[in-house]
Amino acid sequence: MDDIITTHRLTKTYGSRTVVDDLDLRVPRGSVYGFLGPNGSGKSTTMKMLLSLVRPSRGQIHLFGRPMNRDTRPDLLRKVGSLIEAPPGYAHLTGRENMAIVQRMLGLSDRQVSRAVSTVRLQEHMDKRVRAYSLGMKQRLGIAMALAREPRLLVLDEPTNGLDPAGIEEIRELLVSLAADGTTVMVSSHLLDEVDRMASVLGVLGRGRLIFQGTRAELFDRSLPDLVVDTPEPGRALALGVPAVRAERGIRLSGLDDEDTAALVRRLVEGGVPVYGVRRVQQTLEEVFMDLTGREGLV
Amino acid sequence: MPTALVLELRKMRRLRVGIVCAAMVAAVVALTCANLVSDTARSGFDDPADQPWESLLMGYVMVSAMTSPILVAVLASRQVDMEHQGQGWTLSRVAGFGPGLLCRAKVAALGLVLAVAVPAQTALIVMAGLAAGITVPPSPGMWAGYAVRLLLVDLALLCLHVWLAARVDNQLVGLATGMLGAFCGVFSLLMPPALARVLPWGYYAIISPLGMGEEGFLTVTPGYGWLAAFLVVVAVLFGVAGRRLDRREA
Repeated sequence: MDDIITTHRLTKTYGSRTVVDDLDLRVPRGSVYGFLGPNGSGKSTTMKMLLSLVRPSRGQIHLFGRPMNRDTRPDLLRKVGSLIEAPPGYAHLTGRENMAIVQRMLGLSDRQVSRAVSTVRLQEHMDKRVRAYSLGMKQRLGIAMALAREPRLLVLDEPTNGLDPAGIEEIRELLVSLAADGTTVMVSSHLLDEVDRMASVLGVLGRGRLIFQGTRAELFDRSLPDLVVDTPEPGRALALGVPAVRAERGIRLSGLDDEDTAALVRRLVEGGVPVYGVRRVQQTLEEVFMDLTGREGLV
Repeated sequence: MPTALVLELRKMRRLRVGIVCAAMVAAVVALTCANLVSDTARSGFDDPADQPWESLLMGYVMVSAMTSPILVAVLASRQVDMEHQGQGWTLSRVAGFGPGLLCRAKVAALGLVLAVAVPAQTALIVMAGLAAGITVPPSPGMWAGYAVRLLLVDLALLCLHVWLAARVDNQLVGLATGMLGAFCGVFSLLMPPALARVLPWGYYAIISPLGMGEEGFLTVTPGYGWLAAFLVVVAVLFGVAGRRLDRREA
């Protein structure tokens, strides 16, 4: 699978403060790339750099295999739909009038506009002023504006912000169906659960650095789940000086790889501790992320 | 630019720009013509020595100096604030329309509105004078010349206000500047010309074709050179400011 977005050592600094640090992103074609990180981790700045709204301090960006520079920028951005921070829309105009402005701005056909509107299921509200829209409708209008140009890449910054669970589910289904139709979607969120259920590839940002990038399965492979030793005599095990805490039916240990596990079992058996079973605790994705981001508040 | 201008005209829909302009034009006409109903003024409507048209035009100069800065500030604020509120800057930027281009298009669109409003209010004032019974023939060149110069000063101030409204999210700043401008505009008629020339609103006095003498109104040559220099400086500053807005990060 080739990559639609690649960045090399992408960095943004404001004075002495580094907001994005040496980012090497790889967003595969046709994927839903979940861009995760706590608030203030640099997600929006990264997305703005991808859209040329913010100038990188260092590093390169390639979109569709071509370097992003002053000459290529207009052509490359024509293939990118985006929704950055808050959804756009002139409140005093109707949805239809807003879409007409986007249509004229981008030189789009009526078919492209009506297709985008029907994709986000907003047809029935097009004659309402945007001022009267709910937040969910505004988000959908913003996504329709991004979709109207039939982009090959969709960059969405927290598109489910402020939506109710039904609205979140609707957006999630929409993005998955767009990816199934061949559009690459990069979607950021500070809410793990939202992204987990739609993303095929994950990128995790913490304090401006890319902590992890890969599939969900790769993420779990990278983490080392806690180990639980089932024993009727946990006190005796702890008395041996094993770095563990009491668990429901035994003791629980962190950070032990396979070799460490074998050594632990040997030590317990030699110490006369009855070992009924040894198992890894199934970590939730949330726990994995909390470990990765240093418990910065990703929820 | 043509596309950006068309977009601005479309965005104007329901912004009540027309109503705001019409209300301001009505206010200017009413304030200027208020004196036409006084018996003292009416008694001199057929005597050139009483300078009825000069009196009316001087009133127009004063009222314009007071109201134009407010009108320009309100129009600029309405047309720009929607970009702040509706994420329009970002929407346009990713479509290839930078903030500088957007500001130029806004000046062009609002300039079209002013290009209708200023001649209309001038014509209405002249018609009001004729309807009130001034039989002394008016000087069309003087009225038309003043209307053109007034429009040019309005456009220059519109550039400054559009830039200010784009640069500062809080539109109260622009509106307060307009109010201050109205104050400066009126008092510029009483200022020494040297001081009026350094204030943007002072140009409402510089363009006046009339001055006050001991025996009434005097025809004076407006400061064409100063006006031209002012327009050039504003155009250059607006161009530079637009480029700086384009370079500004979102």
